[in-house]
Amino acid sequence: MSRSRWIFVMVAALVVGAACSDDPTGGGTQAGTVTLRLTTPHADDGAVLFEVSGPPIDTAIAVNASLRLFTRRTSGSTIVGVVVGVVANGAVVTLQVPDAGAPGYTARVLEVADRQNALRSSLTGYALTVGP
Amino acid sequence: MRTKSMVLVLLLALVGAAPVVAQRPATGSWREAVRQIRDAGGVLPGHAKTGARSIRPAILTATVTQAIVTETEPNNTAPTADSVALGDQATGVVDPAADADTWFVDLIAGQYLSVDVDAEAIGSPLDAVLVLFAPDGSTVLASNDDFDGPDSRISYRVPTSGRYYVTIVAFGGMAGGPELQYAINFGTVVCAGAGTEQEPNDAPGTASRVAVGGSGTGEICATDANPAGDVDYWAFTAEAGTTLELDVDAVSLGLLVDPALALYASDGVTRLAFRDDGNGADPRLRYPIPTTGTYYATVAAGPDPGGNPFPYTLHVRALPPGPGDPTTVRAADLAFPLGLAVGSTGDLFVGEAAGNRVVRISGQGAVTTFAAGIELPLGLAFDAFGDLLVVSIDGTVYRVTPQGQVTPFITDAGFPFWIAVAPDGRIWLSDVSDRSLRRYSPTGQFETRFDAIAVGGSGPGPLAIGPGGVPYFSQGTEIWRLVDGRLERVFADGALIWAFAFDVAGNVYAPMPTAGRIKLFDATGTAVADPFAVGVDGPQAVAFGRDVTGVTVARLFATDPIARRVIEVNPAGVAHPGLPVDGGAAPFPVEAVAAALLGAGGLSAADLQYLDALGNRNGRYDVGDFEAYLNSVGGLPGAAASARRPGSER
Repeated sequence: MSRSRWIFVMVAALVVGAACSDDPTGGGTQAGTVTLRLTTPHADDGAVLFEVSGPPIDTAIAVNASLRLFTRRTSGSTIVGVVVGVVANGAVVTLQVPDAGAPGYTARVLEVADRQNALRSSLTGYALTVGP
Repeated sequence: MRTKSMVLVLLLALVGAAPVVAQRPATGSWREAVRQIRDAGGVLPGHAKTGARSIRPAILTATVTQAIVTETEPNNTAPTADSVALGDQATGVVDPAADADTWFVDLIAGQYLSVDVDAEAIGSPLDAVLVLFAPDGSTVLASNDDFDGPDSRISYRVPTSGRYYVTIVAFGGMAGGPELQYAINFGTVVCAGAGTEQEPNDAPGTASRVAVGGSGTGEICATDANPAGDVDYWAFTAEAGTTLELDVDAVSLGLLVDPALALYASDGVTRLAFRDDGNGADPRLRYPIPTTGTYYATVAAGPDPGGNPFPYTLHVRALPPGPGDPTTVRAADLAFPLGLAVGSTGDLFVGEAAGNRVVRISGQGAVTTFAAGIELPLGLAFDAFGDLLVVSIDGTVYRVTPQGQVTPFITDAGFPFWIAVAPDGRIWLSDVSDRSLRRYSPTGQFETRFDAIAVGGSGPGPLAIGPGGVPYFSQGTEIWRLVDGRLERVFADGALIWAFAFDVAGNVYAPMPTAGRIKLFDATGTAVADPFAVGVDGPQAVAFGRDVTGVTVARLFATDPIARRVIEVNPAGVAHPGLPVDGGAAPFPVEAVAAALLGAGGLSAADLQYLDALGNRNGRYDVGDFEAYLNSVGGLPGAAASARRPGSER
């Protein structure tokens, strides 16, 4: 490789590196993940319908292979989803977000069914929290 | 024979049985058949006055007139009856209106009295009804409306010596007039002795011979010499591996009689098969011959062994087998098995039309009652939720849970006849009241109807779901389908086609009760096996078997009502598995079902009802229903193989 070509590669690498570390908001945000955690009074939940609102969300994935997740974006800042499978206390969904430190995510449980498909008549004791 | 069986036999006759009289069904015959059954109210429509035959075989001449005695009015009652002797001919007129003429004759115990009216035979418009009374003058011993045409006849063995009374009236009891003249021949029964039979042949040892491929003729004639009734034995040699057909013509000769037919093994004692009907009231039976040897057929009078004499012809044939032969019996002695559906574990569910119940036949052949109290079940099909839907002659479609609980399900059809469930769970009915196809949601909500009068014939009749979830139906001798709201004729055949079934290649297995065979057509309607199977007397409905996991397999079953059995064709002759039934395919993409839950719409109200019924049945589509759907299509992690629908644990 000629010297000039090496210089070109180095310059290009620097440019790309600068671009990757660039902050479009200028506020020092950090893309990452947040987690939806379920609190449930039951041990046999089979499906949970939920809604998450707040800052932008890129994608959502189930936290493990025993769960299956379907989501729909209803607006730029709201996602509704259903997670089905062996649903238990603890993390259920991971959200990939552009600003993992952004405050203001809220989540709520809309419907829950047990593993025999019966709809819970009450959502008392259920909670869905968003955190790191 | 019980009334309902006779009504059903009549139904078969109306829809095209009695092929010697008419191989093709009359226009509108399904509707007419069912209407007549509904209207009959226990009175056999076969006793209608129209269409009475006027053939009077010379073989039935039984008496020689000694004297002609003219009536003397008043003679309406036993105390005023006119006297007549055996051998005399009584003459009179049913006049005025509602007139009844009564005659008495003194008889000795054991005599076979023959009372034979000539009215139409002498040009009179009288349609006579004849009644025989006991010596008390009031106990009815026998009656007859039509025997040879509208002319009545009674043959009766008197149990005790005494004075017996015979009354003649016009049909309906109200007519009368000077033109209603009659003659009554009083005598004892005398057999004509015609035909190729050689009496006495009332036992295997004296049987008349007939060759396979040939015919024998004879007369069933109970006389003083055989007071228990006449039974004619015929002997022939049959070859192992052939399917034997015995076929009697008697009704088709023009007489309102009811012969019975039986087949006996080489010992002359072991009864192998019995039929009272087959071609209408004329019996026909099929039997696969296991070993070469001498076999015996008997012909006798059916319900009344001491009734009027009649001539007959017995045909003995060896039928060429089809790929579905030999057939095997899966269940016998059923009460007119008609509709057939196969459950998700392979058990057969059969509607006993004369038993007013649905029976379950296990893989081991055990027959148990699955649902009782359903009047004359017709078509059967499993719905998308594992419940059995049963069409009843009472106009209701009943839903039967896997536990056998019966509830009315569809009640707004005029006269539903047959039923099928499409892969999307929707329910299709043929309605003979207005000759339409009706479509319902999986949960039984009416969606739409399609007028099918244009298909002609007797359509729409039995129906099945074909490739692509399209409803196909028979209009009698043609198969039609409904594609995008348009009726298309698929193929035609010369014989009546009942409740057919598809395999995965689109081939059609068509039961043809009047032809006495199952015929196989390819997807274009070209006959590829004719016969496919002949070891079935009068197949009425066919269905493919399923294995214990619900997968449709290459085994074909058929109901055979006249023979009172359910048979299986030779599985080696069934090339492909059956088209999946019972809504086996997932009706919607999972993504669409999820989107509907998450508020994106995309599914109809009927679809959402279906999903709710599949799930928790709480009246709305919710997260539990979505969970159930995922489970039903194997969409849950670790549950890919368990695509069994909830509630389908039958």
